[in-house]
Parts: sequence; C-alpha cells; structure tokens
Amino acid sequence: MLNEIAELFQYTFFTNALISALLASISCGIAGTYIVARRKVFIAGGITHAAFGGIGLGYYMGISPVAGGTLFGLFSALGIEWLSKKSGIREDSAIGIIWSFGMAIGIIFIFLTPGYAPNLMTYLFGNILTVNTSELYYMMLVTLLIVAFFVVFSRIILFISFDEEYAKSLKLPVQVFNYLLITLVALVIVINIRIVGIILVISFLTIPQSTANLFTKEFRRIILYSILVGVVGSFSGLYISFKADLPSGASIIFVFVLIYIVTWVIRSIKGRIEIRKQLSK
Amino acid sequence: MSKIIELKDVTAGYGNEMVLKDVNLCINANDFVGLIGPNGGGKTTLVKIMVGILKPVKGKVILHRENGNRNHQIIGYLPQINRFDVNFPISVTDVVLSGLVSEKGSFAGFKRPDKQKARELLDRMGVGDFYKRPIGELSGGQMQRVFLCRALITSPKLLILDEPNTFVDNRFEADLYETLKELNGRMAIMIVSHDVGTISYYVKTIACVNKYLHYHPSNIITEQQLAAYGCPIQIITHGDIPHTVLKKHNH
Repeated sequence: MLNEIAELFQYTFFTNALISALLASISCGIAGTYIVARRKVFIAGGITHAAFGGIGLGYYMGISPVAGGTLFGLFSALGIEWLSKKSGIREDSAIGIIWSFGMAIGIIFIFLTPGYAPNLMTYLFGNILTVNTSELYYMMLVTLLIVAFFVVFSRIILFISFDEEYAKSLKLPVQVFNYLLITLVALVIVINIRIVGIILVISFLTIPQSTANLFTKEFRRIILYSILVGVVGSFSGLYISFKADLPSGASIIFVFVLIYIVTWVIRSIKGRIEIRKQLSK
Repeated sequence: MSKIIELKDVTAGYGNEMVLKDVNLCINANDFVGLIGPNGGGKTTLVKIMVGILKPVKGKVILHRENGNRNHQIIGYLPQINRFDVNFPISVTDVVLSGLVSEKGSFAGFKRPDKQKARELLDRMGVGDFYKRPIGELSGGQMQRVFLCRALITSPKLLILDEPNTFVDNRFEADLYETLKELNGRMAIMIVSHDVGTISYYVKTIACVNKYLHYHPSNIITEQQLAAYGCPIQIITHGDIPHTVLKKHNH
C-alpha cells in the first residue's frame, strides 16, 4: 500500500489533489466553525447555490467560471448580511429567494451557452483530481487570508459571535467584522466548490465541526479539531475514490460521515462506562 | 457628588417609532436607581442608549471618565438573559474575559493577572468551580452570575442590570440583591425591573420611564404618583416591606 501511495505522488494531479484537500480542510475548518457556531449554515447554503449563477455567467461570457462564482458569492453574502439587518424582511425567506434565483440564473446561462458545457458536473459534484495550478494558487491565497484573519482577531471574532450586543457596548466594530467575516466565508465557499461541488460543499463546513463538537465546546479547539478531521477524512476519501474508482467529492463526504458516526458511538459508550463507574462508587 | 453619566434631552427609537422622548437623567457615584415602567415603555431602549449599543436620534450622552483613560469601560452591563445562544461554544472564563476586550485592544493577549482576576470574580460569585465549563452547561442563575462577572471585570463605576431576575431561581434573586448592596459601596447601580415591590426595598431612588422619564428622588412611591408620572404599573406587595407605600393586591 505504501508503495502504491508513493507511486501516486509522481503524478502532479495527485499532489495537487492532496494540497487542495489540505487547503480545503483548513479553510473550511475555520469558516465552518464560524458559521456553525453562529447558526449561519443556511446562509452558507444560500451563498453556495447563488455562486452557481456566477459560474453559469462565466461559461456564457467565456470568462473563468471561478471568477463569476466569486462575484456572485460575494454579492449574495453581502446582500444576505445587509438584508438580515433590515426589519420587515424574514431572513430565511430572503436566503431561499437568493438561493433559488442563483441556481436559476446558472441553469439559464449554461443552457444558452453554445455547445455542451463539459465541466458542469465538476461544479455540481466537484472534482478534486482536475484542480489546476492557478486554481491552487487562488485556494492558497484565500486560505492564507482566512487563517491570518482568525489568528489576529480570534478573540474579537469569538466575542462578537457570542454576544453581538455586548460587543457593541464594548465599542467593537461589530458591523465591519460581520461583513468581513461573511465575505471570507463566501470566498472559502467559492474556492471549495471546485473540490466537492455545490451540492456537497456544505458538508465540508459542517460535518468535521460536528465531529469536533463531540469532543470540545471551545471555539478555537473546534477549529483545530475540524481541520484535523478534515485532513484525515479527505485524504482517506481521496484514497478510496482512487482505489474504487468513485467520484472524489462523494467519497470524501462518505468518510466524513463515517468518522462522525464512529466517533459518536465511541463517545456514547465511553459516557455509559463513565456513568456506570460513578454509580458503582 | 461626582457624575458618572448624563443624558441630555435624549430622544431615541427604531425607524419611525420614537420610544424615548426628551429624556434627562444623571447618575452620580453611589446612586442606586431602580428603573421601572410598563412593557414597551422604553426601559431596555434607555439601557441600550446608556451603554452605547444604540445612538440617540437627538440629544447627548456624556460619560465622565475620571483619569481620562479613553479605553476604560466605566459602565458594566448585565443584559437580559433570554437573547443568548446557550449552545455557543465558549468557556465560562472566556465569557468573563470578553468584558476586557475593548481595554486590551485587538492584538494584546490576556495576561495571567487578567485570568486571575476572572477566576477571583467567579469565586466571589460562587461559580468558581465552573471556570472551564462551556457556558451552556450552567443553569440560568449560574449563567447570570457569570455575566455579572463579565460586567464587573473592568471595575466599572456604574453597573446596569436589565431585568436580572427573569428566568432565575429565587435563591439567585436573594443573593443578587445582597451582592448589589455590597457592590453599591464601590459603584453606582441601576437596576431595571417591572417588579417595583421588590426593588424599592433596595434602591435609593426610582426612575419611571414610559416614553418620558420621571425621576423620583426616593424609594417610596405610590400608585398615584406612578400614575401622575404617566407610568401606569401596578405595585404588588411582597410581605411587609417597610419602606414602601403599597396598595393591597388582589390575586
């Protein structure tokens, strides 16, 4: 098995895949912990699907779909954040509208694009094995950005997320941070659509975090553990997809869920033993 | 007497709706003010103006800082408990330390003395054993104690409590009033409540707010006076509390 893996490293596409899996684990570990803690998972879903509109536009206009996706992702993120502050608009309904509208635009543009759009499936379900070098650089840039931002401002992010009003009373620039954070989340989503696809990107943002949350209830630790779970899950998922010739995105998520279930079972058994010990004392 | 905070002709509200109109209020050192008023009368809005969460539409809020240290948080604030997400992943110690974040700036980390101060406060409030626990594992009363520590960690000159007696057990309430009495030796206190009967025993003065604010420089108040202040709330007796003139209630 080790020889096999060593052989794989001779291929650029495989090293690229590993690097992007690592970057995805880091960026989603951070962004996911933030959105899960603040209960913004549905917003993340909205941004993801709205980005599809930009991908379609990119195809139609012959520019990079990733650029189009970035544009739409950012607009929808800032739009949702802005709408949520306005009274009289129900946030979840607004997200639903943006979510489906983005998808609709994407489908229309792809339909209008002459000829067959060969990589469309790549964006719906992702393909980590076809990530090219320029995409890898974009991923690195966004990952660096979010890591730097969370290292420098981790405490402020934590306190604003926990109690926005109190943070305001401490004169923290709450609104600026909210916009910056949702912008970073949107960027992370867009870079990872390429890896696991629109339909599955939400799993990268939630499953490792839920697994980490079984062990710790501290924000910064959840980030670290999620990254760890992300790396283990995506590397082994990648290996499975390679061996069994299965789609990479789906394989990774399958492993994610497997890890979650195993962890959950181990934890509940441990909990029961603990209770029994205390009872027999 | 040294002033801590002054509100001058403050008008405030949300959108087109004015909740407070031409409010004047001055809190001095060692004051113990009970803020009362009907639901929707603007109690919480007034608190938000005072702690800086909300900006007044008109008028001025003046903070008097002693030593000119612009970062010193001179107001400690205990918000209403019902707006927290109890599943949020944060430890009790971090909650308390969060009170210090504006004084420390973004980059400086919390040093040992800060953490020690947090621990001491938690110990004094009787929740020292929980310092490592996630906040969500505590009961309502224990949580309130932690939030009180967060408000106190900056050694404020004024402590504002917004309905601290909702969702907590009776023991916490009794303990709280004793703690406040002791704290009042070091800082001014303003407590928001809809339960006039209980607080009037502890407070020194009463402010009634129902769009307009009327300051009552005594802790004895009658329903007639309340009505004259445009503050139609019922006073409910809690046993024989001496300092209050009360009307009998019929339950």
